[in-house]
Amino acid sequence: MSIIEKLNAVKSTVPHYWPIGSFIHHNPLKGFENMHFKDGLSKAQSIFGGKVYMDSSYYKDLYEEGKINDSIFEKNIKKVLSDKGFNIPLEFAKKFLMEVSPQWSSLRVELISKVEKTDDELYAYLQSHSLYSDEKAWLAELIKHMTLYEINDALFGLDDKDGIEKSIIEFISRFLDEDQTTMHMPNRDLGMFEVFKLFEDVDYTKNAESFVEEAFKELQVQDIESYFLTHLLKLHGWAGFIKYRSEDPDNVSQQEYPSQLIDYMAIRLYYELKAVKNNKISTFKIFTAYAEANLSDVILQLLKHKNMLFGIALDELEDNEETTKVLADHVKNELHLDALQIQHSNEVLQSKLPLTELSTILDKLREEEGYIWLKSLEDTYISKYVDEVINVVPVKEKAIASATFCLDVRSEVIRRSIERLGAYETFGAGGFLGLPIAFVEFDKAHELFLAPAIVKPQNVVFELPVEAHEEYSLKKGMHKTTKKVLSDLKNNPYTPYIMVEAIGWIFGITLFGKTFSPIKTNKFFSKMKPSKPKTSYTLDKLSEDEIEFYVKKLHTKIIHTVLDEHNKKNCSDVDVENIRKHLLFNDSLHKDLSDTVIHELQTSYQITPEDYEYQKKKLAMVGFTLEEKVSYLHKYLTMIGQVENFPEFVTIIGHGSISDNNPFESALDCGACGGNISLPNTRALCMIANTPDVRDKIKEKGIDIPKNTKFIPGLHITSTDEINFFDTEILNDEQSKKFSKIQDDFNKASQLSSEERSQTLPFTNTKKEMLIKSMDWSETRPEWGLARNMGVFAGPRSYTKHLELNNRFFMHSYDYKVDNENADILKAIFDGPLIVGEWINLEHYFSTVDNHVYGAGSKVYHNIVSKVGVFSGNYSDLKIGLPIQSVYLEGKAYHEPVRLISFIEAPLEMVGKAVENSIAKEFILNEWIRPVIIDREAKKVYSYENGEFIVIKEI
Amino acid sequence: MIYNILFLILAAGVPYYLILEKFPAIKSKHIFLLSALALLSSIVLSLYVPNEHKTSLVIISLLNAVYTIYRATKTTNFYKLAYYFIFVNAPFFVLYEGESSLYSISLLLSLSGLYLIGRFYEKNYGSANYRYITGITLVRPYIGTYLTFYLIAVALYPPFPNSLFFLHYILGSESNPLWFAVVITLFFGNFFLSMGVMKKTLFGRPNSNIHYVHMTIKEKIPHILIVGMLLLFSLYGLKEILL
Repeated sequence: MSIIEKLNAVKSTVPHYWPIGSFIHHNPLKGFENMHFKDGLSKAQSIFGGKVYMDSSYYKDLYEEGKINDSIFEKNIKKVLSDKGFNIPLEFAKKFLMEVSPQWSSLRVELISKVEKTDDELYAYLQSHSLYSDEKAWLAELIKHMTLYEINDALFGLDDKDGIEKSIIEFISRFLDEDQTTMHMPNRDLGMFEVFKLFEDVDYTKNAESFVEEAFKELQVQDIESYFLTHLLKLHGWAGFIKYRSEDPDNVSQQEYPSQLIDYMAIRLYYELKAVKNNKISTFKIFTAYAEANLSDVILQLLKHKNMLFGIALDELEDNEETTKVLADHVKNELHLDALQIQHSNEVLQSKLPLTELSTILDKLREEEGYIWLKSLEDTYISKYVDEVINVVPVKEKAIASATFCLDVRSEVIRRSIERLGAYETFGAGGFLGLPIAFVEFDKAHELFLAPAIVKPQNVVFELPVEAHEEYSLKKGMHKTTKKVLSDLKNNPYTPYIMVEAIGWIFGITLFGKTFSPIKTNKFFSKMKPSKPKTSYTLDKLSEDEIEFYVKKLHTKIIHTVLDEHNKKNCSDVDVENIRKHLLFNDSLHKDLSDTVIHELQTSYQITPEDYEYQKKKLAMVGFTLEEKVSYLHKYLTMIGQVENFPEFVTIIGHGSISDNNPFESALDCGACGGNISLPNTRALCMIANTPDVRDKIKEKGIDIPKNTKFIPGLHITSTDEINFFDTEILNDEQSKKFSKIQDDFNKASQLSSEERSQTLPFTNTKKEMLIKSMDWSETRPEWGLARNMGVFAGPRSYTKHLELNNRFFMHSYDYKVDNENADILKAIFDGPLIVGEWINLEHYFSTVDNHVYGAGSKVYHNIVSKVGVFSGNYSDLKIGLPIQSVYLEGKAYHEPVRLISFIEAPLEMVGKAVENSIAKEFILNEWIRPVIIDREAKKVYSYENGEFIVIKEI
Repeated sequence: MIYNILFLILAAGVPYYLILEKFPAIKSKHIFLLSALALLSSIVLSLYVPNEHKTSLVIISLLNAVYTIYRATKTTNFYKLAYYFIFVNAPFFVLYEGESSLYSISLLLSLSGLYLIGRFYEKNYGSANYRYITGITLVRPYIGTYLTFYLIAVALYPPFPNSLFFLHYILGSESNPLWFAVVITLFFGNFFLSMGVMKKTLFGRPNSNIHYVHMTIKEKIPHILIVGMLLLFSLYGLKEILL
């Protein structure tokens, strides 16, 4: 196995980290999805540490609130007792989970100050079964995932780790910088390790792979895979970002400044070698010998370093007591407390079992309790919602308008509010609407991938103005100039000295305005901002001539500019065309031109045959063929089951969020659009659906959309609940009048939704206060976003319309009667929306159960780094996951961590086929979500547990 | 002379290092109580017995303070730290005697707070050692706040009374090389020791290996009183400086 293969074998442990600008919710334990959820969590805990379930006291509180059903809880305990072969009564296990376990840690604290005798037999049993009895195994456990410099730090009280990690972060954050700094690291195009050699002046000619191999030999590392993992875990946020970048062929920064995980490893090992070179322990072989000679001392120092050595032992060490005695005292003390914990637990449990046997059972129960509680909570919700949906008889009524929202949980309240205001029919679909596009916004140069992170769009859509926009251009120009002047003044070494006094007060307007009168200040600045002109999208394919024309136009403009820069203004268009042909087709050059100019055009501006082909290929991706348009629209309509009885107005409403001073703003946008606002997808799809050719063609496929039906795109701002419609100029006067009534209803629904949501947001009672939250630059929680998400409903809306789901469910419309026998539509839902839902759900789950390990910590300490993410303070690991403010409120979990409970309204057979063919198969079958199948044809409800579908309810 | 020696014995750490720490039966919390009581006695005595300091005694106490700073960097026990802080500040008392009584009282108040936190730790975690009780501000903000108050006061940060009285005395006295040595040693000694403790226990990530205990209302009352008294002293200190 080569070094790279060994690295590849462990890198899946580290989750991908997408740049924060387009925040992608993801499962931090994605690399463990090949295992059953319970086993995956257990394995992850052994690697990352931290918690994977909430504390038992949390679940107990939910039980007492009635959120965990007693009989379900008992059923799950019984199952574990029978699976594990524990011959103990249910009541005993329940009492342990309810009364003893929540007090387990505090009981130990209480026992510290008590002088009590332990049971000798129990003490001896614990001693023989503990890790303490085998010091070598104990040592191996302690140094697991420790680097050699950390071992040196621990044994000799050094502080190398801090310096090493700081140096690594300093280098990689500068290398990976995406234009946050104005002073870029030079030579980044050489690649990460090559630049590092220049950065540290390392005289080494070979590549990173060789360096790593040699470093391992020098450090005398025995298990290379394990040591790779050790290093990856040190800064797993940064490692995850480098991994993401290196595996994304479309990442522009990666193309320009390549970096690989092996480069990162080489950098880490360089600093490690440098640090340990002069230390007492410079290789693992030396450490082994040292540890053998000083075993007690080494264990003690490691325990102290890991904060596992407690007060009395620390005092003894301070008083220079003999280390063997200190360790023996420590072990004795720990075993004494362990024994007392069991004895005192037995006083509550009143068990007649021998204490030694009780000890084993309690250990096993403690291992299982997190899963028992979690499953009981999920099962209670499953039972509750199954009861509420199975007996519903749908009522059909002619709708005056339909509205499709993103399946995002935040659409639930607004959909419910709209439905209550009139004959409105609502649908839910993945925010990208099954239409993955690479979107180039008006006046922007880069493309946004508006699709789930796992889908790469094959169609490019440009936004172009359809009206004069002089005012926009003027204001935009002024903005650009002001920004540039301020930026130059700020970044010049001298100007800041005078700038603060001269114009610093101007910033005071924003400072005080935003703080004391955010609404007025926002209005004031909005007036100054250029407002975008009316636009349309390029939805038709370009002909070959058009493609050739645009590429030629681009190249000609570049050549003219370069020639002007080189004072060759006497070149005619014919000359320019000749230069272009020379560069692209190797035609002979008629004009005398220096090699420098040619070289610049080839290297700096990429006018090369390869780039020519690339440009043509990209332009060929612009727009859609008629077949593609029909196919996407058909796919969308069948996916949500809207195939007949079209109302006059079919609205499709995307969503986005507005907040200020919030690096995580993108996390509040549409997850199905790669953390972007999903308006372009809705506008594009509506434009396609309103095209007569498309309507004719789709009719041939069995979907007859009436001529007077108009598709209107809209945008739902989730932080304020406002809904705005676009492209309404396609309506005639009569339709406009009708539609304005619909708009009024939607505005009322916004108000209702806003009122309902304000009840859960702290310090917010009115719509105005919610509006202020979206503008407040000190607000850490502009909205609750996707917190408290718990499930998904894939089925007709009519079955859930009557329920108040409190923004906790992803709602995807689906009608299995429209699906084909292979369940392709359901498979498509699994492949896109369900994956996004699972990522969102598990990101929230893990950020809640252990925000230190899987979350981003407090927003208060965050600083943006390299424009790719945030870190704490002035340097730290790149923060993965969600900030604590997104999932906690006043120290208590606001998000209720449960796996995604996925209710699917379809026959079991179809679900089986869809799962079998889906890329989500692995996590579905390994129970990283909780599938619940409502099969109305078979009149049964199934749940997927332990590898099989079991009937949980007869309809 | 006799009074000077008495002050030295009462306020500086020499006898403690030479005698008391040698007896295993005498625990660090007893040494703090004894040294705090001795300092209090010295303050009272200095109010009734006018006396001029001997340079040699100031030098001895200064050397002892430097040694104590070294010792204090090696401990993570609140009891020890509390009496080390008394010895670190002893040269100031020997130098100013009666005039430094307000400073010494506010120092004693802050250290009593530290001592009480030590007692709380001993009761709940088995020892007054704070090394492994990390990130206390995040998990137990009340305890974190009290500790922050005490340590910031000892670190001579305004507007706490220690800093104000310290400033008041040094502004009102004549400087000489010994004066400089005492002021600099105290200023940096108090500051770095307090900051070191804050870094180790107040901030950082909470230790997942322990169960953090809440203070009861009864346990909070003495701290509220101490913080209140420190704030009152601050007002008085401000008045002293400004008027």
